[in-house]
Amino acid sequence: MVRKRQAGRSPEAYLPLPPATFHILLALADGELHGYAIMKGVAARSAGTVRLGPGTLYGALKRLLEAGLVGEGRERADPERGDERRRYYRLTPLGLSVARAEAHRLDALVRAARRKRLIGVRPA
Amino acid sequence: MTAERIYRLLLRAYPPDFRAEYGRDMELLFRDQCQESDVRTLGFWARVFWDVARSAPALRIEAWRGRGSENTQTVEVIMKIAGMLTVLLAAFVIVGAVGEWVAGSKGAMDGRYVLAVVLGVFANVLLLGAGVAILLGARWGRQPARLALFASLVSAVAARLLFPWMSIFSQLVGFGLPVALLIALYWPSKTSTFRAA
Repeated sequence: MVRKRQAGRSPEAYLPLPPATFHILLALADGELHGYAIMKGVAARSAGTVRLGPGTLYGALKRLLEAGLVGEGRERADPERGDERRRYYRLTPLGLSVARAEAHRLDALVRAARRKRLIGVRPA
Repeated sequence: MTAERIYRLLLRAYPPDFRAEYGRDMELLFRDQCQESDVRTLGFWARVFWDVARSAPALRIEAWRGRGSENTQTVEVIMKIAGMLTVLLAAFVIVGAVGEWVAGSKGAMDGRYVLAVVLGVFANVLLLGAGVAILLGARWGRQPARLALFASLVSAVAARLLFPWMSIFSQLVGFGLPVALLIALYWPSKTSTFRAA
């Protein structure tokens, strides 16, 4: 696997992240996961509104690996899902910084929306 | 035909390199999905096809652009050769036109013919300039070469309209060369970024 580490780029340079990408980084914040576990985690966290198919998921993972935001863990079988060996993915320190930066960006947006009473107010 | 065999066929929509790297994982993930969904429903297959239709073209474009960036050096060498050929051809046509002018100047010349020759020479001087600009591309960028080629093409068309008996060789150099070089100079050369994800 070729990994083009984009050295010298600040976490903010990767923002804004596409929603699916941020969901994947969020899922990996829990620790090493294989593809199906990431997909299930994203679907559960978004209450089924974001469904990543195999193509979308592995396409995004490929880009994240190339950007150095995600790394590959040890290939192993998931005892819950049979004997087949699966590739695991984990967040890199850069990936964690980018996820934090994106969370801060979204948090600032939500706070701005709240100040403008777009959310957090009961409709009359 | 089983669902997995259908999905294996759908995987052919992805670039070969991507398939080699992630094909097995994607099949495995699809198998997991099949175990937890009803594969006989239209909704399931609509989601599968939508996923392939959405992700495969983007990955194909990325792979194509990636190959483009790897071949940048080769393209630059080809452009340098094209620049040199342009300079040589334009110089050859200018010398030929001047020779013809000198030979024909002894007799009386039609005004339209004179104007056509002047325009033809002007077009080739611009073509020569474009060739030099391509050769010095790294220093000047592509814009001067594009402008010179556009102007050269317009002058060549004007010369052809004034003098319809223009030789095939002159037409090839006057029209074919600028058009081919303009296509090459406008060809996108940007590589994909993470933002495309």
